[in-house]
Amino acid sequence: MIGKLNQSEQVLLETLQKTGADELAADFAKTGLPTRRNEAYHYSDLKMLLGDVPDLTTGAISTSVPLLNIEGAYRILIVNGEVQISDEPPTGVIVSTSRGGVVEPENDIVAQLNSALTKETLNIDLQGTVETIIHIDRRYEGEASHINDGVELYILDGSNATIIESFSGSNEAHLSNSASKVILGRDAKVTHIMVDLSGGRVRHLQSVQYEINESALLHSLIIHKGSALARTQLFAKFIGENAHADFAGLILGAKEQHSDISINIEHNVANTTSSENYKSVVLDKAKAIFQGKILVARDAQKTDAAMKHQGLMLSDDAQILVKPELEIYADDVICGHGATCGQIDMDSLFYLMSRGIEKEQAKSMLIRAFLAELFDEIKIEALKEALISVADEWLEV
Amino acid sequence: MSNMLEIKDLHVKVEDKEILKGVNLTIPKGETHAIMGRNGSGKSTLSYVMAGKEGYEVTKGEILLDGENILELEPNERAVKGLFLAFQYPIEIPGVATMTFLKAAMNAQRKARGEEELLTPDFMREVKSAAKMLEIDSAMLKRALNVGFSGGEKKRAEILQMALLKPKMCVFDETDSGLDIDALKIVSQGVNALRDANRSMLIITHYQRLLNYIVPDVVHVFSNGRIVKSGDKSLALELEEHGYAQYDESI
Ligand SMILES: Nc1ncnc2c1ncn2[C@@H]1O[C@H](COP(=O)(O)OP(=O)(O)OP(=O)(O)O)[C@@H](O)[C@H]1O
Ligand SMILES: [Mg+2]
Repeated sequence: MIGKLNQSEQVLLETLQKTGADELAADFAKTGLPTRRNEAYHYSDLKMLLGDVPDLTTGAISTSVPLLNIEGAYRILIVNGEVQISDEPPTGVIVSTSRGGVVEPENDIVAQLNSALTKETLNIDLQGTVETIIHIDRRYEGEASHINDGVELYILDGSNATIIESFSGSNEAHLSNSASKVILGRDAKVTHIMVDLSGGRVRHLQSVQYEINESALLHSLIIHKGSALARTQLFAKFIGENAHADFAGLILGAKEQHSDISINIEHNVANTTSSENYKSVVLDKAKAIFQGKILVARDAQKTDAAMKHQGLMLSDDAQILVKPELEIYADDVICGHGATCGQIDMDSLFYLMSRGIEKEQAKSMLIRAFLAELFDEIKIEALKEALISVADEWLEV
Repeated sequence: MSNMLEIKDLHVKVEDKEILKGVNLTIPKGETHAIMGRNGSGKSTLSYVMAGKEGYEVTKGEILLDGENILELEPNERAVKGLFLAFQYPIEIPGVATMTFLKAAMNAQRKARGEEELLTPDFMREVKSAAKMLEIDSAMLKRALNVGFSGGEKKRAEILQMALLKPKMCVFDETDSGLDIDALKIVSQGVNALRDANRSMLIITHYQRLLNYIVPDVVHVFSNGRIVKSGDKSLALELEEHGYAQYDESI
């Protein structure tokens, strides 16, 4: 079978073998990277898209200036997979590291690769009402390299926390494969934001897992802006009743970027609710992909889930591909999805211009208006401003 | 140059259908003219073509604003040259705050005149005083642009914009429709307050009533894509009495 692997897969296989991940190597030799025949990767055929796999990183080096500054946040760096804790954590925040990677979700080769190749995982336990924003600054620095890193967050019963993870670094053709696992205890209230600000040559793969316990409240937001190829797969499991989660995301795509957000939401118990609200704005030849899968288990009565994707196409050569999927085994549920895709509304543009506003500014105003809803959900002003400026910078390019 | 607006033999097609069939209209500086005409006769089309909306093909003729042909200009360029259209149906734009919009519009015009951006306190003061004159509730200004505004509120908001932008050529497309009697008086006062020797107005309406409040210098009858008769304000009364039928033979 090895003969069928392409160059990138060969390198990945050798990397696994050198690391001593024999079992996974044996599997990988048979399967290789996911292709379009794999439903989850239907629009992101990694065998075709991934490109050259650089050498595994040799570890941390000096870092570039942070791309995202959040006022008053407690910042932890992970540079080329190495956790760097410099400041004393705020009260209620327990920071440690553990060897190896985050336990991967079932049967996903990208997450398995990450788990096998990550040397250390950043563990953060959050207890009580943590007012300070936790900023996990994940960097991919230096020459092009293959970097794996992992974060596990545990928000204890009854605790509140706001965490933002940013992905950025040098403008080289890195392959970054990252994992985050967030466990929400009972009654935990969590805002978890992930922003990809990587350079335009980076291939960024990301796996996010949520475990949502009883009465917990989650607000999750993913923003894709930087990488040439970005794919975030999200796996969320409701495992306690009366919990609610708002899943949101935004793809800002330009040039020839390929950006994919694929979510898998499992309502496994009764009386849980979720909303899925994703948007894509694409220009040039960019491609945005949203796949949304909601599973409602047989016992998950009274589930209420509403998914939507809204696309804004700013050029004729851009593409937005959307695939919703509902898999419902319970009978007493409310579950729906909707998708819209449009261009800048010409009547609105004319109205703004008729008051003297220049076309480019008027367009920006309308794009901002399209995005406003996602940012309005963020209640912490410093965070909201930081994210709006991420979008504003994109609009100015 | 004593004419603010000169429209000469204007022919306009929309999707291959000729809507305007040779409009001639001259408005001297400081004058207020009214256009009255049947539904579908092309009044809004004329106002959109003046403002520069896409999708209208001018096959013949020209529009001069203060002596300058504006047909090749973008809508924003026309606006900064002093043209303002109060829309028959103002557009709702969710996600754009009314105040953000007003400030962007005012600053765009200042930028075109080579002036500094407005300072926030000055901007607030100007908006407040204009809103007060038009009896616009400040809560309305905190909402997204025109979103959830009643029909009458939208029309008032248009006049508010006009009061802030101080254009020299104002076009009102059925600004009176949707206004109750009190609102009509308030809006008319707002418009009259802006009348002066260097500002001209074109009022498109179906009702003579508005013209009792904003008294025009000239009234034009619009039929089937052009002006078929012009006269003084008594023409509006005559139209109210006899309708448009007598002008139909010109079709
Ligand atoms: N975008 C368009 N596509 C096709 N036809 C159009 C378009 N815009 C206007 N028309 C047609 O042009 C004609 C004139 O329309 P217009 O809106 O200018 O009339 P109006 O005089 O303003 O009418 P009203 O008094 O009802 O406001 C109508 O027959 C209308 O259907
Ligand atoms: Mg009309």
